[in-house]
Amino acid sequence: MSELNEIVEKINQATDYQTNKRILREKTQTDLHVPYNGGLFKISPELIAFLKVWPSDELFLEDTYQNPIKIARDEFFTLCCEHYQIVMNTWHDQHEQIKRIRKV
Amino acid sequence: MATKTTGLPVSLVTDPDTVTDYPFDHVITKENTLKNYKVGEAGAWRNGGRYNAYDLTPYDETIVIDADYFVMDQNLVKLLEQDFDYRIMQKNNLPGNQWKLTMGMVGLPYVWATVIIFRKTKKSEILFDLVKRVQRNYEYYRRLYHMREGNFRNDYAFTIANVILNGYDLNETQGIPWNMLTFAGVITDIELAGSLLKIREDKKAYVIPKQDIHVMDKGFLLSENCQQLVDQLCAA
Repeated sequence: MSELNEIVEKINQATDYQTNKRILREKTQTDLHVPYNGGLFKISPELIAFLKVWPSDELFLEDTYQNPIKIARDEFFTLCCEHYQIVMNTWHDQHEQIKRIRKV
Repeated sequence: MATKTTGLPVSLVTDPDTVTDYPFDHVITKENTLKNYKVGEAGAWRNGGRYNAYDLTPYDETIVIDADYFVMDQNLVKLLEQDFDYRIMQKNNLPGNQWKLTMGMVGLPYVWATVIIFRKTKKSEILFDLVKRVQRNYEYYRRLYHMREGNFRNDYAFTIANVILNGYDLNETQGIPWNMLTFAGVITDIELAGSLLKIREDKKAYVIPKQDIHVMDKGFLLSENCQQLVDQLCAA
């Protein structure tokens, strides 16, 4: 194999960290969606904080599809915290793996 | 692979000539009478009978996916827990950027018929009937909606049917709320490495989390490498 071919081969095996990182973030945003009581919610720190401080046990929240969904606060809060933690831990683990990879 | 990932039964809709070894829940055959189909290096690509899905499905709730869409995570299943008639994939990303296209220079932004989730309801039935009507009168709708291409595209037919059904309201949210990830280039190999996928294109490589992907390279789908990937995913 000529030197030029070897260089081309190496370039073709190279992977761009920024692109991989962006795809991983996008996947994490998808995974943050959680179905509840017929609605679909994307969990965010704001949603978790809101549920934590809301004073009553029942409330209505707007879901991803702009529908008002009846929420049992404690139950939904627990669900959101658990799901958020799982997704964010996975994000961290996978990010640690991809940031070291420069060649496939 | 989809059954392994989602736990849902999978049925195949194909023409009577297709032979498959996979243990599908149902293999539904339908004579292919389409005159309008693509012939590429990987063979003939007939993709025009999508409106039959409503009548052919043996299920009350159905996720219609193209054969080039790999189901590797649980996200589509989440949608089945909600109340809806149908959901269509609306947003599509390439690895580097968003694939944001309209049907023509002044046309509608289009949906992706690659993934459609529907229940057997009146509204879903009307959607598929409308797609059939658009396909039958495609030349008329092509001119009406200023489409760029002349050949039939399911994506465009579902876009028109969807917008008519929603009272021409482009803000109506019937879509799947996340992005589909599409690889449009020539794929040489996809390898599962733990919770990551290593995807090699002819001039680039990606390392991404294991997730649903849309692979447009029909040559790869018919390759030994693709078979190995499916075996690897099913064994994982």
